[in-house]
Amino acid sequence: MKTPLLGPFKSPRNGHHTLGPMQHIDIPMRRFRDTDEVDYVIVGCGSAGGVLLQRLSRAGFRVVALEAGPFWDTERDWVSDESGSHKLYWEDLRITGGTDPLAFGANNSGKGVGGGSVHWAAFTPRFHPSDFEVYTRDGLGADWPFRYETLHSYYEQLELEMPVAGPAYFPWGHPHGYPYGPHPMGGVGNTLIKGCSALGIPVSIGGPVAILSGSRADRPHCIYRGYCIQGCKVGAKASTLITHVPDAIAHGGEVRDYSMAHRIELGNNGRVSGVHYFDRDGASWFQRAKAVIISGYAIETPRLLLNSACPGHENGLANSSGTVGRYLMAQAGNVVLGRFEQPVRMYKAPPAHALTEEFYETDPRNNFARGFAIQTVGPLPIAFGKQMVSAKRAWGWGLRREMMDYNHWASLGLLGEILPWPDNRVTLSEERDQFGIRVPHISFSLHDNDHKLIKAAKDKTMEVMRAAGAAEVVQEARYAHLVGAARMGNDPRSSVVDKFGRTHDIANLFVCDGSILPTQGSANPGLTIQALAARTADYLIAQGDTIFTSAKRDMTEPTMRKDLAPPDTWGHGVPRMK
Amino acid sequence: MKNKPRKAATRQPLNTDTSLLPRDARTGEAIMPSEQPGYYPGYSTLSQQAYWDKTTRDLVNDRVDHVPRIRHFGAESARFWRIVFDHILPQTDRVPKRRIPILERIDDRLYHNRGVGFRYENMPTDREAYRLAEIAINSESHARYSANFIDLPQLQQDIVLQAIHDNKPVAAKPIWKQMSIGRFWLLLLQDAIEAYYSHPWAWDEIGFGGPAYPRAYTRLERGEPEPWEVEEQRYKWAAPRYSISDTTESTHHLHTESRQNEFIPDESQ
Repeated sequence: MKTPLLGPFKSPRNGHHTLGPMQHIDIPMRRFRDTDEVDYVIVGCGSAGGVLLQRLSRAGFRVVALEAGPFWDTERDWVSDESGSHKLYWEDLRITGGTDPLAFGANNSGKGVGGGSVHWAAFTPRFHPSDFEVYTRDGLGADWPFRYETLHSYYEQLELEMPVAGPAYFPWGHPHGYPYGPHPMGGVGNTLIKGCSALGIPVSIGGPVAILSGSRADRPHCIYRGYCIQGCKVGAKASTLITHVPDAIAHGGEVRDYSMAHRIELGNNGRVSGVHYFDRDGASWFQRAKAVIISGYAIETPRLLLNSACPGHENGLANSSGTVGRYLMAQAGNVVLGRFEQPVRMYKAPPAHALTEEFYETDPRNNFARGFAIQTVGPLPIAFGKQMVSAKRAWGWGLRREMMDYNHWASLGLLGEILPWPDNRVTLSEERDQFGIRVPHISFSLHDNDHKLIKAAKDKTMEVMRAAGAAEVVQEARYAHLVGAARMGNDPRSSVVDKFGRTHDIANLFVCDGSILPTQGSANPGLTIQALAARTADYLIAQGDTIFTSAKRDMTEPTMRKDLAPPDTWGHGVPRMK
Repeated sequence: MKNKPRKAATRQPLNTDTSLLPRDARTGEAIMPSEQPGYYPGYSTLSQQAYWDKTTRDLVNDRVDHVPRIRHFGAESARFWRIVFDHILPQTDRVPKRRIPILERIDDRLYHNRGVGFRYENMPTDREAYRLAEIAINSESHARYSANFIDLPQLQQDIVLQAIHDNKPVAAKPIWKQMSIGRFWLLLLQDAIEAYYSHPWAWDEIGFGGPAYPRAYTRLERGEPEPWEVEEQRYKWAAPRYSISDTTESTHHLHTESRQNEFIPDESQ
């Protein structure tokens, strides 16, 4: 049958702004005037910004989120297509260097409402308790200003809000179970299970991944179409665009899209007074605010702080420690590809659907500290072709031949912890972007521990692939994720923000996103970023007007406000296993 | 949908130099160009487009129907790069009307100055990289064969490009000093791959399922095809006689990205 019975599929448009085929929101939303002094301006409406906007709006604050990219209508704007999805990524110019330069754009940087959570693969493992005390345990890296227990209930909360599908018992870190059932296996997941099982390595099957395995309210279940990182048109994969932003708008929050923040204004009283931004036509505007939260992720956050240098803050705003831009981290993300005699068709099923964290912790038998995870990945043809260029140096007829075998390959990605180093750093280049804003320069170099860890992780992942029965095993070296560059800590001399994300230097300026992470473990950072945002929101709500009027720094941990979660969060899923 | 092999019907003789055609691996005889090379005869992603969402359908059809005209490259550069891409992703196994436009896509990207979100500090802008590389590749041709690249026989063109691929150029050292040869090669290959493998004819060639929203994939395990996909039918083929690009070399011993792509020696041992 060449066409559906009722004719070609049409978009379920009904005059609304559509988020997935069933969910829609009413636009226009509330719009504050520039002359209004709002309570909070949030710079960046991504993983952290979306959660902050939702919580603060529900608590009754007047909040605007400035977002550099568009406010997506998923039916109209998104496609099932690799090459057609570039607009989801932050593709403005950045200069990258160091001995191990990082790739940006599609690799790790989102643009538009939902930010990185629109194009993440949505693996959502928690950090382990050991991640919060790396320096104490290993004498390297840094400790967090709080322990795992502080974040524990926020992990549980956000796993329900997304929600997360996975096994009912997850054995690593602080053991726990997931509220939604695990996903069925695709060819790549089966490869990981087979390889791990042959070597006696435990494996987590069907998650943890923030993709619906069953329908829930106005979001359909996953249809296993494989285009997760091109934006989930289905609405099954969680992004703050569909999980938190609609609730924020319903409670009076404003998302101002195509608004590129370029300078935070510092008033005479040593407090910030608002944010300068460009609209899509390049006109400059200023939004007044009682407090500012920067949620621009690990490159744009330090870039904005550095570009906001002013008298008294010549090295950049909130940078008395000199650590703004420093301790940038990416994870090793080497992809191991195995060719099998039988077809795999790895484009089916989410790229993220099975993993093992058996090698996550420091092992005294290793010659390095910390560890790695092994996860499924499922590159579509363009991504796979680029991997064949690096992994096999293929070109010409050799490349055509490898590509004809696309359906015979499976791929596993390692996720390796790279430690925070002061010389891995974001600074400002002399070059300018389309708005005339100085572009970031990123320098990234691996250190001895990183090299040893990546080699061991790569060899172990290749061993798993061989044990799964691959006739040929090759490897592409790369990096995944970005965190750090505005890290939190107790000591104002060696960190940018305190444990709630408040800058040490300026009482009403906050940073809340991946850039505040002191270390990164070998877990994908998305869940931790959203959990931190929910906690910072609770802190701000508990502090109330004090934030706007006082320099007092109350370090009391807030109580979790479950009542401020989006509706229908509770009462779903399986009971937790302790 | 019926999935009868139609390889025979679509093969047609052409006035092509058979030394440039892939060969049957057993008989050594040239395989005549076809509408659809690859192991999935009769498979057509476009035939399924009524099951795609409208935005995706419009985008993919536009890609097939509207090839952008050349606006960035001058006539001479366009001719040069077209021949280079005939080696980077050769298409002599496709009949001319089913060849996938590569140069036009790259020209369009450069014309609109569309980047990918970053530039290596040892690289010029993409436009400048293509300008410098044209000079460097012609210098390489002159140093080796005393002629411009486009005037060389096919095999020698392959050899010149292989020297760039291997980071073993004998000429244009000043250019390769200001521009990383490994990064340039990656840029060239990535541009070519994005153009070729974003095309539905390439999806048919490699048996990729393509868009599946809102219909869904339902057979996730053991590589089994959906009812509208087809089973693989492999055949053994050898690259054309006058080509040297059908070799690969595993880089699995190199554990970092810069070592794999920039030929930086491993000093961490």
